[in-house]
Amino acid sequence: MHHTAFFLGKGGVGKTTLSSAFALALARTGKKVLIASLDPAHNLGDALKTTLSGEPRIVEPNLEALEVDLAQWVDKYLDESRAQLKATYSYNLTLNLDSFFSILKYSPGTEEYAMLWAIEDIHCRLAPAYDFVVFDTPPTALSLRFLSLPAISGLWVAELTKLREKILQRRQTITRLNPESPVAASCVDKSDDKVYGKLGSIRARLSMLDALFSKQSFLSVIVNPDELSVREALRIKEELTRLGIPLSAVCVNKQGVSDAAWEQTPELKNLPQFIYNFSRDGITTRDDLTAIGAEPLIRYFLEEGKKK
Amino acid sequence: MPAQFGHMLKTALKIFTQINREKATGMLDFELKELENIFALLILGGFAGLPSPPSPIAMELMPYMERELTILLSRTDLSQDPLGVLMGMLEID
Repeated sequence: MHHTAFFLGKGGVGKTTLSSAFALALARTGKKVLIASLDPAHNLGDALKTTLSGEPRIVEPNLEALEVDLAQWVDKYLDESRAQLKATYSYNLTLNLDSFFSILKYSPGTEEYAMLWAIEDIHCRLAPAYDFVVFDTPPTALSLRFLSLPAISGLWVAELTKLREKILQRRQTITRLNPESPVAASCVDKSDDKVYGKLGSIRARLSMLDALFSKQSFLSVIVNPDELSVREALRIKEELTRLGIPLSAVCVNKQGVSDAAWEQTPELKNLPQFIYNFSRDGITTRDDLTAIGAEPLIRYFLEEGKKK
Repeated sequence: MPAQFGHMLKTALKIFTQINREKATGMLDFELKELENIFALLILGGFAGLPSPPSPIAMELMPYMERELTILLSRTDLSQDPLGVLMGMLEID
């Protein structure tokens, strides 16, 4: 059964509005729901008319929400690595560690990884207490990067594991032939080798996240009735297909915002479509979110979830 | 006296066996060091402009790679004369 829903799309199409309307309507059916914002420019709290933090806060009965603090996750991750390095390495190697870590904070990929570990934390630590978890994602570029990380990193880890196995095999042979060799003092067994063990644990975490994205989640792309957001949605669909992650539905938001002629592109037409009219009076209260009408999408989400 | 001679013979045989063991594993040892060097290069390659796994993966593995890093550094010293190292290992004068 699907327990997790992701809302993707171009910046400004209404991901936060639709995901919070979806979570709110789902919670009001009696299900316990957690909604988490992964967007570094958080506005989930604004949409739900409340103040949020990195830990779940009660919005109303059955609905809790949080905004992932990426900077805090990056710091936590680097602090853990720094502590491990200091504990293992000799003093002279760790002399300039602090300046090295302050550079790593801005290294490409660190933010995406922090996001991945934040999703893992929500999925493993928080999700069991809820019926459903809804993710409001950042705009396309960042979302696609973190969705593709488990698959890409998985390839690297698989290759590194193969090479490590080869190294351990050679160490075993040398130790067998020459027990007094200095190699005998290093780890020769897979069970003793910490690098092999660490590669295994990274692979297990990445596989779990890969399965979460590709098999256990309901991914919905949001478009507006305009060419730019639809083109970006097509790119999202292509990229997700390449990664083996199926797209479940298309939400057309702000229908009627313009009088210009518009027709859904054939590539997205084969997916279930959910239309949301442009709200001319704006969304000023939390109850306005329920007036959007997320019920048909919720019915489809629950039906699809049962099939899984 | 015969006991002392026996002990000397035993020691000589032990040394002889060990020399042969060292010779037998010399090539494997060289290959192992190369593999460990490649492993360290793959993990840390990003810092030198080589293709490498995402840096957070490298960061998670680094605490357990002191041996590989030492080999990487010693290999850097030997990289000035790779042919000399190879010839030395193959015992070619």
